[in-house]
Amino acid sequence: MGELARMKFYCDDQRCIDCDGCSVACAEAHELPTGVSRRKVITLNEGIFGKEFSTSVACMHCTDAPCEQVCPVDCFYIREDGIVLHDKEICIGCGYCLYACPFGAPQFPRDGAFGTKGAMDKCTMCAGGPEETNSAKERELYGQNRISEGKVPVCAAMCSTKALLVGDGQAIADIYRKRVASRGHGVQSSPYGWGSAYGK
Amino acid sequence: MANTWGYGAMTNSLGDIQNAKAIIIFGANPAVNHPVGFGHFLKAKERNNAQIIVVDPRMTKTAAKADIYAQIRPGTDIPFMYGMLHLIFKNGWHDEKFINDRVYAMDEVMEEAKKWTPEKVEDVTGVSVEKLMQITRVYSRSTPGTLIWAMGLTQHNIGSSNTRLAPIIQLALGNMGVEGGGTNILRGHDNVQGATDMCCLSHTLPGYYGLSAGSWKYFAKSWGVDYEWLAGRFKDKKMMSAKGFSLSRWYAGVLAGKPGEDKIHNAGTNLKALFVMGNGITSIAQQAKVKEALDDLELIVLADPFVNEAAILTDKQDDVFILPAATQFETSGSVTATNRSAQWRSKVVEPLYESKTDHEVMFELAKRLGFYGEYTKGMLIRENKKEFTFPEDATDEIARIIKTIGLTGWTAERIKKHTDNWHMFDKVSLRGFGPMKGEYYGLPWPCWTETHSGSPILYNISLPVKEGGMGFRNRFGVEREGVDLLAGKGSAPVGSANPDGYPEITAENIEEVLGITLTDEEKAKIGKNWKVDTSNIIAQKCMEAGIAPYGNAKARAKVWTFPDPIPIHREPLHSPRSDLTKAHPTYKDKENHYRVDTKYASVQSEKDWSKDFPVNLVTGRLVNMNGAGVAERGSKYLAALTPEMFCDMHPDLAFNLGIKNGNMIWIHSPEGTKIKVKAKFSFSVSPDRVFLPFHYAGHFQGEDLSHKYPEGTTPYAVGESANTVTNYGYDIITQIPETKGGLCHIEKA
Repeated sequence: MGELARMKFYCDDQRCIDCDGCSVACAEAHELPTGVSRRKVITLNEGIFGKEFSTSVACMHCTDAPCEQVCPVDCFYIREDGIVLHDKEICIGCGYCLYACPFGAPQFPRDGAFGTKGAMDKCTMCAGGPEETNSAKERELYGQNRISEGKVPVCAAMCSTKALLVGDGQAIADIYRKRVASRGHGVQSSPYGWGSAYGK
Repeated sequence: MANTWGYGAMTNSLGDIQNAKAIIIFGANPAVNHPVGFGHFLKAKERNNAQIIVVDPRMTKTAAKADIYAQIRPGTDIPFMYGMLHLIFKNGWHDEKFINDRVYAMDEVMEEAKKWTPEKVEDVTGVSVEKLMQITRVYSRSTPGTLIWAMGLTQHNIGSSNTRLAPIIQLALGNMGVEGGGTNILRGHDNVQGATDMCCLSHTLPGYYGLSAGSWKYFAKSWGVDYEWLAGRFKDKKMMSAKGFSLSRWYAGVLAGKPGEDKIHNAGTNLKALFVMGNGITSIAQQAKVKEALDDLELIVLADPFVNEAAILTDKQDDVFILPAATQFETSGSVTATNRSAQWRSKVVEPLYESKTDHEVMFELAKRLGFYGEYTKGMLIRENKKEFTFPEDATDEIARIIKTIGLTGWTAERIKKHTDNWHMFDKVSLRGFGPMKGEYYGLPWPCWTETHSGSPILYNISLPVKEGGMGFRNRFGVEREGVDLLAGKGSAPVGSANPDGYPEITAENIEEVLGITLTDEEKAKIGKNWKVDTSNIIAQKCMEAGIAPYGNAKARAKVWTFPDPIPIHREPLHSPRSDLTKAHPTYKDKENHYRVDTKYASVQSEKDWSKDFPVNLVTGRLVNMNGAGVAERGSKYLAALTPEMFCDMHPDLAFNLGIKNGNMIWIHSPEGTKIKVKAKFSFSVSPDRVFLPFHYAGHFQGEDLSHKYPEGTTPYAVGESANTVTNYGYDIITQIPETKGGLCHIEKA
């Protein structure tokens, strides 16, 4: 692949069933303090038939990230693959990014005793932070770095119905295009028995 | 289900649900309880335009993804289904040929269905005439349709009738034995199907062989032990063949003799000791009775990876032992999925600290009790070994002995090969490719021989038997009151030497039914019938002839041995519609029902319960928890999603009771018990009912028991058990508790 990937999330609200597998996997994998929700499933109109729907929301890793633009200490940086990260040792925890963020992504640890995730905390798309990759310090401050190991971010890996997709924007689009194209076209499977598939 | 067509298991598979054109769900909430499996439902909708229909007292997460939803009054599934059948027969939407060839006594169902006009159904169930018509039309016209259920259908005192009428709908529409059809009952825990197949139950030997002397003798022989020695372990041979206590009523075995308690039939003695291996007995009905029984026991042993909260509930101070059991990751062996498929599970780590695997606990117990040799001998027989390897030799022992559900093909070696080649199977049809060609993933039972493919869809006559085809099982005789119970002409699985119905295969009829002649050597080796033929000659000859060893019979709509031969509606013991209990009364009280006298009419007719307890009570699960919930409440992230026990309540009901969102409330039950929980406003329930999750423990009738946990073991979330207020009521056949249709009274705390 000659071109750079642009890493994106997509959550299909036709498939999301509010199981919270993504948010629990995220919290568990990165050992987040309770109260910090890097990812959260939001359900609207709960209990009302025909109106209830759910979707999973985290940092959307904007190309033109408003958080980066408003940060007074310039702690954000955007990787070549589009993942938006920040340096917690520069961050002053002012919360200005929360004003700017269209998704409510920035989180602020409430308890000093659990303050290990720094002044502001948010989804890293499982890509760690500015510290040495897979170092103890990176893990302590930012959680796992699965991207460096070639793994899918843990939220999407856990998603029970594959509503939540993550990866290069083109790959996401292709998966979703296939889903759309396959609507109403029947089951993607081979017939039962072996006769028709192999001949006798 | 077993009483309808032979086997009581999911007929198709989760993947096969993708083939459905319509999916109707009664009393199941797969989006919450089977979130990964639910992906197949969503794919059916996406790719196959399948219509999802949910019939449930609550607007569940599953209903949120449905095309049509009917909010039914708890305990009225039978009227609803008869309403569907009424319209199906009236409009001629039934499959006449299928019914004629493959179903017995559907005419009697038609008669009963005539009574259930849509107007009457609306009155009893609360579902409008229009909605019933819409659902019936969509479901009958979009074929194949699959019918899903879980505990919402079974946990009623008429559960065993519910689970017969649901299959009857599928039989009427010809939806059985086809891709995208079937009755797909979703199992609630990992390996429940396997535990059931091995009959971790009190009324039958492994493989559903029953408890007759003949079955005991077959097992004695197969285990290589003396039958008389086995019989000598029991008080007498009568008790050897008597059903034991059920999980739901074990407490009655302890409490019998106290005033007001049900009488027991336990050879003159009460239960004195309880050994629990990984069962959350704090999630079964009648927690106040469970507590009292725990207090009265002489000995309690709890083997569990977590602190079994039975130890917290009881006030008993001495002779309560908590054994640390190893988890699934610390051992290996086969597990059986909901669709009758086996998988091999490998050990990830050695048992941590002093924990022991379940089998080690049992081996040690058998040694102390003095029958370790007899207990493990069955594992040596197949290869005439001196020492066994666990669990491989146990798996092979099962394959050697269990013929009834066709486990002959489930050798440890084959199951491992399937799991290792997981990627070589189609996810929908389960069909294998490459080295796995000719086999379905996990060899779904019946897997008749060591080369059989497995059977992905039960009762499918469009496949040859050796590729998983079969008719309905011949289990209830060949004739009833002059009517032939065998399948009609031409309805045998394709490629069959016998094109019509035929009886189950025995040494006596094999030559006639298969049209073969056995050699003298074969005649000398062959077992009496297919269920006990360890020579496997019957199975092998059957495969060659395209014959299902268990016969080819009709499914039966009428079970003449049941109190209701044709399912009929009976109001719950505690009904909110006392005006209907006269027309639809419950059963007479039943004596010696799994060793306990069980009350029906005497409870229902005692008084008009709905006067003092006007609100319907249903219980169920949360997505972040499982069973009694101690494992999940012990995880801070899972507990954080629902840190407190709560009650889903419609704002209108709450307003009338002066309750605000987040207030603490008391819920009182007709049993005289109560729980204190937090009110949570929800539109998922109508104002006449409330919902309680059943995963909490650690509080009891307002008292916080947190201080009783051993140091460092208190879960992050503790709360009242919903089962402290679920009502008395047990199924007439199975003794399953009625947790999905009781009454309660609510007040602000």
